[in-house]
Amino acid sequence: MKRRVGILYFILIVSIVFLVVLNLFWGSSSITAERMWEILRHPQSADLYGVIVWEIRIPRIVEAIFLGGALALAGYLLQSFFANPIAGPYVLGISSGAKLFVAILMVFSYELAFSMSSMMMVIASFLGSCVAALFVIAVAKRVRNMAVLIVCGVMIGYVCSAVTELLVSFADDSNIVNLHNWSMGSFGAASWTNVRIIIPVVCLGFVCSVLLSKGISVYLFGETYASSVGMNIRLFRFCLIVVSSLLSAIVTAFAGPISFVGIAVPHVVRTVTKTGSTKTMILASFLGGSAFCLLCDWIARYLFAPTELSISTITAVFGAPIVIVMLMQKQGRKS
Amino acid sequence: MAEIRTEHLKAGYERKIVVDQVELSVKAGEIVVLIGPNGAGKSTILKTLAGLLEPLDGTVFLGDTSLKELSLTQRAKNISVMMTGRNHTEYLTVYDVVAGGRYCYTDLLGKLSETDKEIIEEALRTTGAYEQKDLEFTKLSDGQKQRVLLARALAQKPRFMILDEPTSFLDLGYKLSFLEIVKDLARKNQIGIIMSMHELEMAHRVADKVVCITAEGRVDKVGAPGEIFVPQYIERIFRISPGLLGQTYHFGKIPNPVAQVSERLKDPKARFLMVQGTMSSAGKSLIVAGLCRIFKQDGYRVAPFKSQNMALNSYITEDGLEMGRAQVMQAEAAGIKPNVYMNPILLKPTSDSGSQIIVNGKVIGNMRAKDYFQYKTQLVPDILAAVKELEKQADIIVIEGAGSPAEINLKKNDIVNMGVANMLDAPVLLVGDIDRGGVFAQLLGTIELLEEEERNRVKGLIVNKFRGDKTILDPGLVMLEERGGIPVAGVVPYMRLQLEDEDSLSEKFDRKAEGAVQIGIIKLPHIANFTDFDVFEQVPGLAIHYITGTKEVESMDMIILPGSKNTISDMIWLKETGMESAIKKYSATDNPLLGICGGYQMLGESISDPLGVEAGGQVNGLGILPVKTVLAGEKHRSQVQGHFLTPTGILESLAGIAYEGYEIHMGETTVLSDEISTFTEGESGYCRGNVWGTYVHGILDSAPIVKGIVNALAKRKGIDLDLNQVIDYKARKELEYDKLADTMREYMDMDLIYGMMGIKR
Repeated sequence: MKRRVGILYFILIVSIVFLVVLNLFWGSSSITAERMWEILRHPQSADLYGVIVWEIRIPRIVEAIFLGGALALAGYLLQSFFANPIAGPYVLGISSGAKLFVAILMVFSYELAFSMSSMMMVIASFLGSCVAALFVIAVAKRVRNMAVLIVCGVMIGYVCSAVTELLVSFADDSNIVNLHNWSMGSFGAASWTNVRIIIPVVCLGFVCSVLLSKGISVYLFGETYASSVGMNIRLFRFCLIVVSSLLSAIVTAFAGPISFVGIAVPHVVRTVTKTGSTKTMILASFLGGSAFCLLCDWIARYLFAPTELSISTITAVFGAPIVIVMLMQKQGRKS
Repeated sequence: MAEIRTEHLKAGYERKIVVDQVELSVKAGEIVVLIGPNGAGKSTILKTLAGLLEPLDGTVFLGDTSLKELSLTQRAKNISVMMTGRNHTEYLTVYDVVAGGRYCYTDLLGKLSETDKEIIEEALRTTGAYEQKDLEFTKLSDGQKQRVLLARALAQKPRFMILDEPTSFLDLGYKLSFLEIVKDLARKNQIGIIMSMHELEMAHRVADKVVCITAEGRVDKVGAPGEIFVPQYIERIFRISPGLLGQTYHFGKIPNPVAQVSERLKDPKARFLMVQGTMSSAGKSLIVAGLCRIFKQDGYRVAPFKSQNMALNSYITEDGLEMGRAQVMQAEAAGIKPNVYMNPILLKPTSDSGSQIIVNGKVIGNMRAKDYFQYKTQLVPDILAAVKELEKQADIIVIEGAGSPAEINLKKNDIVNMGVANMLDAPVLLVGDIDRGGVFAQLLGTIELLEEEERNRVKGLIVNKFRGDKTILDPGLVMLEERGGIPVAGVVPYMRLQLEDEDSLSEKFDRKAEGAVQIGIIKLPHIANFTDFDVFEQVPGLAIHYITGTKEVESMDMIILPGSKNTISDMIWLKETGMESAIKKYSATDNPLLGICGGYQMLGESISDPLGVEAGGQVNGLGILPVKTVLAGEKHRSQVQGHFLTPTGILESLAGIAYEGYEIHMGETTVLSDEISTFTEGESGYCRGNVWGTYVHGILDSAPIVKGIVNALAKRKGIDLDLNQVIDYKARKELEYDKLADTMREYMDMDLIYGMMGIKR
């Protein structure tokens, strides 16, 4: 079992490196290896390719790595929280909550004529995530049924979309364009300014997750047991939901809602490694999310280049079948 | 210090108390087992002891400290738990699971130290799970899982372990070996263990102390296994039909029943007088009723009492409790409302050798006669408690015996005749029945067969049902007094009274009545509550017949199907004897047909018993009313009042008339067709044409209703009946009681009787 984990880490790191290189080279305009080497050695060079690589491609790669990891990690934390392998920020409607709050912020910033900073986006997104998460928790307390929880999440998604649409119909044209692009989900808006916020927030979320790992491993046995070994259940649940909301909020704030990464990645990692260790799950999910998002982002850019697809289109194509298979397995095991 | 102890603990969820009065303690090295029915609150107690639930009231102490004051980590280092619960442990190895027990010892990241590892391995070895340490936990069998979970609880290095039904899903081998491990933990590791269990035989073997929790959520008893594991007590706690347990379970030796009930009523407040008979139907019930009325007339507060009745006929009190009818009649004579304390035990025969046992008005189960004989001494406290209650409302309590006190094969453990006289220290009047002959032999023979001590309790003899010239009897009485050494307290003449009878031994079945209007009551083998029809006896020109033959059916002006103790088997009886087709034929020509309770169910299309309330299965009914009945486990018992709604056929005139009565049945009847009218309120009865069915017993007990029915029958027959004499049944009965009392005063030595009770007049 330990070996499987080692192999997975190896594969993940190799594929991340490969995908980084791929993303670096492969784009709307092609760059030779020698030229690339030059550009990388002289970051300050002001020619067009230098700008493309340093101002567009590299921030975008960094975002994909960190936000993809954050998304997968948020999914894993939510699955632990709800004791439900199909939980994830997107299906539970948490991303939709974040989207709604960001949309509100976008529209109001125009109406009230203040300029919107990245930090404000993150905060709005975080608040939206928390509100949606609290709602889902309230439902989960009443029903233990996995499917009901998902349906509830989907409904939250619809409600949030409806309200967002409402805002759009009252918003100014330019805002609509922004909002629309953003709500499709994309790493296209990557910039160093964003990366400077993303890296510390995701790192904070990751460290908190590692600190929660001891708790998660006991929490898996049920609340009663966890509390009997001396865990402060309320505090733990609070921390878990804050950290997972934070992680999914940062993704939504900068890349819009991205579907299925939160469910699919931890599931694949768990199935491949067959590990119950929470620390392994945290690190492997993070790396898996990074690799998966790099891949999907590359496909989104490359497939119909120069037209760029929304990243959710790609993640859904890969992720949704995995979720369906999981549901079928669950049902199969019951009968 | 090493002790978990509770003080005035109330345990429950969100202000809802589940278990009350929890007072228990566990010491180091001790095994305490909680037993009780499902839902009694065992898990709630365990969770509260573990600190997982806040006590609603009171305190849980660990040593001298309240559990609340301990930090979570301190608590976890002292108490570990093993509960049934969900877990999502996919891909976790056994070792990982057990390592979870070290939670409160490891650092922030949960890294296991060498000591931790040693302790985990030791725990795995102790519980015999070491071999499986690298296997995936979810793939283990239930038995292996429980061992691993025990190892996990052990890895916590606690001083106390709380286990919630740890053996419930294990096979016998795993159960036994699991308990051995638990025992070892207590003895060798000096861990105090509290666990709940359903396997009583095993609990008996493993426990040092047993805590019993009742279904109502009360800690009933805390004691050594020997004290608790007595079949009768366990039957009570788990609400098992008395005697049933002994057939399957054995807790060592069943104690021999004590030969003589030795309990006595402490600190008696009322005066007692007991009436015993030389045989069944010697007239005890009426003598008691007459005495009640006499004492009432003399200004005493008086109550009747009979410890145990055996009768099919029962009465439902205002509280919905079931009691014998004889005491109801006597209470009426005493001028008070009947209550269940007047008859704490009621046996309703269900077959030749078995009865339904009703204690304090509630069914506790069915029992074979043999088992009841063993069991009944357990009911002595109930009898004494009932008398204590009656004492609150009576100066004199007149007690009725049952059958004969000289049944020498049954005298052991008697709780109806001399046993009760002994408990209550009551003087006894012995009643003989001269009408059946051999009254001297009855009286002297009975006295002869009594023990000396019992004989001394008999203070007077009564010759009952005398007809003819008393002067011829007198010399015999003198000799009787001489031979028996007991004075004759009275010679009571034969009286014809229209009062309710006690049980199926009643003479009324044999009576040949003549009248212009004939009502036939089908005498079902398990006929119940036939006092419903006593009301007809006072109607001049009306004759009632209890019929069993098909020929009699057609000559009747009305047929009544009465209630039954066993509807399905009585329905089959109707089919077997040809009564079914006789009744169908009778009804086909629009003759009046009334069904009450079980009889009503029989009128319908079918009666089914999916739960096996009676014998199980399904039987087709007479198919005369479009209804069907499903017997359910729940017994309906209630007193009802209402008005006739839309009676059909010749009873149309009853519409709007008020009735009073009671319902007592197991079964739900549903209507199958629209072509049916409502008969009684609350969907309790329906009718069509000249066929009526209702669940309401006692519905006939009022003058307007009886008059209405009999008039309708007479009119249909084209005759005129003078019904002016028919007065309200209740008023009629009052007159009858007075008549009874007057006659008894005249023929009995009341001063002697008062003297027996220590009352001077």
